[in-house]
Amino acid sequence: MKTLKQCFTAAATAAMLVTGLGQPAVADETCNSPYMSRLIKGQEQFLHVWTLGVKGMGDGSDKLVTVDSDPKSKTYGKVIHSLSVGGRGEAHHVGFSDDRKFIWAGRLDDSKIFIIDVGTDPAKPKVVKTITDFAAKTGYVGPHTYYAMPGRMLIQALSNTKDHSGVSGLAMYSNAGELIETYPMPKDQADIGGGDGYAYDIAINARKNVLLTSSFTGWTNYMMDFSKVLADPAAMKNFGNTMVIWDLKAMKPKKVLDVPGAPLEIRWNLAEGQDWAITSTALTSKLWLVKEDAKGEWQAKDVGNIGDPSKVPFPVDISINADGKGLWVNTFSDGTARFYDMTNPEKPKQVYEKVIGKQLNMVSQSWDGKRVYFTSSIFSLWDKKGADDEQFLKAYDWDGKELTKKFELDFYALKLGRAHHMKFSAKSDVASSDASLLTSRR
Amino acid sequence: MPALPYPAASESLRELGRRLFFERRLSFNNAMSCAICHVPEEGFGTHTSRTAVGLEGHLLPRNAPTLLNIAWRPRLFHDGRESSLADQAWLPLLNPLEMGNPSISHVLEMLGADPEYQKAFQAIFGSKQPTMSQVGEALQAFERSLVAAGSRFDLWKYRGQASALTPVERTGFDLFQGKALCSSCHVVGKDDAVFTDDRYHVTGAFLREASPAAAGSSSDEMATSPVEIELAAFVQAVRSDLGRYEITMDPADRYAFRTASLRNVELTAPYMHDGSLLTLEAVVEYYDRGGDAVPNKSPLIRPLHLTAEERAALVAFLKTLSSPAAAALPTRLRAIP
Repeated sequence: MKTLKQCFTAAATAAMLVTGLGQPAVADETCNSPYMSRLIKGQEQFLHVWTLGVKGMGDGSDKLVTVDSDPKSKTYGKVIHSLSVGGRGEAHHVGFSDDRKFIWAGRLDDSKIFIIDVGTDPAKPKVVKTITDFAAKTGYVGPHTYYAMPGRMLIQALSNTKDHSGVSGLAMYSNAGELIETYPMPKDQADIGGGDGYAYDIAINARKNVLLTSSFTGWTNYMMDFSKVLADPAAMKNFGNTMVIWDLKAMKPKKVLDVPGAPLEIRWNLAEGQDWAITSTALTSKLWLVKEDAKGEWQAKDVGNIGDPSKVPFPVDISINADGKGLWVNTFSDGTARFYDMTNPEKPKQVYEKVIGKQLNMVSQSWDGKRVYFTSSIFSLWDKKGADDEQFLKAYDWDGKELTKKFELDFYALKLGRAHHMKFSAKSDVASSDASLLTSRR
Repeated sequence: MPALPYPAASESLRELGRRLFFERRLSFNNAMSCAICHVPEEGFGTHTSRTAVGLEGHLLPRNAPTLLNIAWRPRLFHDGRESSLADQAWLPLLNPLEMGNPSISHVLEMLGADPEYQKAFQAIFGSKQPTMSQVGEALQAFERSLVAAGSRFDLWKYRGQASALTPVERTGFDLFQGKALCSSCHVVGKDDAVFTDDRYHVTGAFLREASPAAAGSSSDEMATSPVEIELAAFVQAVRSDLGRYEITMDPADRYAFRTASLRNVELTAPYMHDGSLLTLEAVVEYYDRGGDAVPNKSPLIRPLHLTAEERAALVAFLKTLSSPAAAALPTRLRAIP
């Protein structure tokens, strides 16, 4: 599933998030943490794809594949580098450090985290540190979301060492890769509305002092063949049905929201007067809005179906536009990208859809929304089988009405593996310095 | 329970076995310990999937059997292929679908390089470097310590405490020994009971579809299940599980599996060798209707014509087999640093 990219719209500048209020607004081109600097508002030059190794294919190793994404380059649309990290550990999501110089790339099976230098030369990423004791030190398994904090990295895990269920928590690391603190997800805390202990994504609205989390499932399910999960009533009971409002400054859970059906990616619209978040539920195929009511209480509201829920399109990654007025929603089962008009978040309206492939998971869009990239893999054992197991990166231009393909890479034909999470990079003279305030204030 | 069939191991050996049991580095990718499939809080089996999940997500064909009271079992695995716990311990360690270690030396060298394990093996065996048999001995010592008897049934049957069972539970026991035929395989002795004959029977569970309805789940349990999904593109081919036949190659053993003990059965859902029945109620219902029409089925599996009250009484009785020790063990074992 996908992603960890937290989207922001026209309000969240990194500086504002640090100081609280009143700073100029900026957003992130691909839903990264607002604490991350060096946004790319122009043309992304490189696309890094965290790729799951496949036994018997090439070297069989998980790898960070770097693709030239600059149309002016002679190698545009080609793989220019492949960094094998060794072994297969269920490569999944990645996240930038606050200075955007390092990608933290994690694996959900063996819980290894690779800190990869993409700042020195983004065309040639290099592993500088491997965290091998995440599970031993935190008690959590499956580091999933990597969310840059000032000088630190907040990680949301999916499972635990005790029983591999979905009960898990958050772990704060220093940028040097040292564990600082852990925060368990709330479970059965009657004073805040209960909680199932499950975890998935992180998204912050600093102006509201809110950290919002979602919930998925544990190791036993995400490492089990998908058809078996669906046919196993014992397994189907073990999915998250909650989102949690946290007091960001105190890092304490404040309120559990009832959002049934495994709410996954969270995207904030932080524009002045907006302050709402949107998520999709994987099992019930719905969009849910998280917003304050008239009394200032955070509430979650079902705001519509995604496709025909009876056919279980299985929504996965979502990506919100920089202005918060549009949202890409991928559905895995039918391989379809859907675009929603979010002008009224209470009534999202699907205005476009296109089948991208036999299966579809991740989506990343450029800052201006004119370029959209898609990849195919969800989990090694949840991907489709046989001919339907297409593994690709596909790049499109988007004019607001139609997706036009620019290039595509067949990750199986190239003997790379299963294409999962994407991040953009650019050489230092290209990246925007809009968020440098953040760096200078630390 | 009968007297322990083995001399008690030293505390230090049991403790070494406990550490090994919870050691995630005993899998090739450091992601699984013995305790991940044999979860202490889940009756030393697993509740969260019908069958166990192995290295890199390999789906194993069988439900993880409980380790409670394993010291009394003469044969191990659902097909009875092994008889020694010390030897058995190495099979999952080296099975590429389970913990996936590439060799015996790979495991021994990992343990031999760890200062804490060096100390423990030195103190117990006189050498810092463990051997294959020593690792097996330690795990065996720990697993044999997982004793969970002293149930309400034991108090009633073998201690003469008449009030330990309710009238309904006593009715359930009468049915267990009589009309319901359960004790034909789940043997109850005059002086003690392990609740198994340790023989192999074809119950027919292997041919049952794993549909939610067949598995006895409630509608609540499936509230978020995308049951309407078109699964064809996701389905992975599954091979037959031939049970005891895979060990004996005797056609009469096709699809036969070892009788499970019923002690602490309330704690060890889901049931049958493939975990296909989620609840005790579903198990009783399955046997009451005589199982499914499958070839080679045991003649002991036939319609029982139980009433609803009788089925409920049987379930009530089965729940009297839970041991207080089984509930206390997880906390005690995890509390040790």
